[in-house]
Amino acid sequence: MSTLAVIARREIRLALRNRGALITALIFSVWFPVMSALSIAVGAGGDTAAVAGGIAAITLPVGVFMGYIFCADAFLREKRDGTIETLLCAPVSLRRLWEGKAIGVTVPAYVMMLLSAVASIAAIAGLTGVSVSAEPLLLLHFVAVVPIWIGASAGLIGAAQLALGMRENQILGFVFIFGFIFLIGGLQAVMSGGPGISATMEGVLAAVGLALLGLARAIAGKVTKERIVRTIP
Amino acid sequence: MIGFPFLALHVKVTLITSREEIYPYVLHRTCGRNLTRNPRCSSRTLSKLRRAVPEVEADVNAVDVRGLSRSFDGREILRDVSFTVGHGEIFGYLGPNGAGKTTTIRILLGLLAPGAGEVRVLGRDLAADDDARARVGVLFENNGLADRMSAADNLAYYAGLYGVEDPAARIDELLALVDLADRRDDPVGTFSTGMKRKLGIARAILHRPEVVFLDEPSSGLDPGAQRMVRDLIVELSRREEMTVFLNSHHLDEVQRICSTVAILAGGRIRAFDSVANLTASSGRPAVTVSLADPGERARACETAGNLPYVTECDADGNSLLCTIADPGATPDLIAALVGAGFRIEEVRRSSRSLEEIYLEHVGQAEGGA
Repeated sequence: MSTLAVIARREIRLALRNRGALITALIFSVWFPVMSALSIAVGAGGDTAAVAGGIAAITLPVGVFMGYIFCADAFLREKRDGTIETLLCAPVSLRRLWEGKAIGVTVPAYVMMLLSAVASIAAIAGLTGVSVSAEPLLLLHFVAVVPIWIGASAGLIGAAQLALGMRENQILGFVFIFGFIFLIGGLQAVMSGGPGISATMEGVLAAVGLALLGLARAIAGKVTKERIVRTIP
Repeated sequence: MIGFPFLALHVKVTLITSREEIYPYVLHRTCGRNLTRNPRCSSRTLSKLRRAVPEVEADVNAVDVRGLSRSFDGREILRDVSFTVGHGEIFGYLGPNGAGKTTTIRILLGLLAPGAGEVRVLGRDLAADDDARARVGVLFENNGLADRMSAADNLAYYAGLYGVEDPAARIDELLALVDLADRRDDPVGTFSTGMKRKLGIARAILHRPEVVFLDEPSSGLDPGAQRMVRDLIVELSRREEMTVFLNSHHLDEVQRICSTVAILAGGRIRAFDSVANLTASSGRPAVTVSLADPGERARACETAGNLPYVTECDADGNSLLCTIADPGATPDLIAALVGAGFRIEEVRRSSRSLEEIYLEHVGQAEGGA
């Protein structure tokens, strides 16, 4: 098994054993979309495209927020406990460590987002009788756009958590997550040509997500071991 | 300077012959010990050299620190620190809190950059060499373990990172060694401090490193666990020929197990020598004489003080501490005291403890500061 897989696997296992984070993620991934489903059902009426657009609009920020929740365990806890210092002495590059952790955060966050999507679709189907589970653009949204954004947010937040001190992280964590959510909301508002899901919107979201992923990778490449060690509390 | 000839020779020899016994030998003979410092010489080539030419190994210290300095925010933490640690040694790195011990270890491990000077572990710069880091183990204060994972899973994780061969067997072996085999599947969060420490040591040596850095390995442990850790360190050094770099506040522990120590105070190395030399080098030979009747101390002290080869005599508890000009005069001193009618219970050569030496150097450093 490659070191990347070893690191990612460990982070996934740790995330699945973190009851606090799992309960928070579960509540948020079910409660928020189910509550939003009511307004989507009312606003969209029986329009399948509008329902799919509403679900896509909800699940992206949910996925990003899930990434933020699991990042705290994979990056911040490791730094707070000082165990990151031992990992930095392993024969693994810092970039590889960051990549493994980012993947390890993305996987459980993505699973939670899928749970959230299933809950939304089920709730709306129950309320309106409209089923969007076979909507191709919505499937593309779940398969490509959302994981890219989760990976980008997890990578960026993780790199920031490695590079910044504890107090800075407390403040900037919220800045990052709300920055992402406002960015998603802004893009959806600017690109939206009306209710519903569109290929243009998904393409723009995927492109911006990839750009953010590249930015996260570039920023992670600038983080040094010295910076990490000197900001361990 | 040697980069070009080294590369030329590398290409030439590779073209001429692929015989491993000739290839590294020619490289070694041509480049000598500089080869181990050449960043273009890969760890794989170096390993080949070590196998083929034993002198190469002898050329490289396990740890080499030369003129190391480092400042943080304008405050100088390390000033011109130099010392070496030979292969297979147990080296004690001593100093008060904030002296810069952990900073030195972090620089050696490539976690911090040196401000000035040069550091090498196994002849390599660990900051730039992933392969070399695989030959080094480390135990920091936090043990590097995840509380929510079991003991075996924690070790399996590091086995994966270090590419340990047959990890299951090695994990079983180490859990048995640190007496945690029956807790292998329990989460580490349920372990006591001592158990976590033992597991941390197992983790640090999992990949059979050539050098292992132990930062306060017995801190927070009960006396039984401290002894177990001490015995384990000695066993590792002996059985696996591991070089141990021990950062410790337990001076008694260091005196018992370390072959060489360095005392760091005020950012400088105040003493660097073998434990035997340091404890013997009190400057003046002295003997402690215990009397059967402590009431005779003052008179005995006066008698001894009048002897020509006794330069100083002090009453110390029930004993006399006599400083003598020549260690060979000890039998004469005993004969003189017995001849004067004193009943002697015990005579022993007086050597200073490491604690005394440590406090003296730290005190001097603080006085100087």
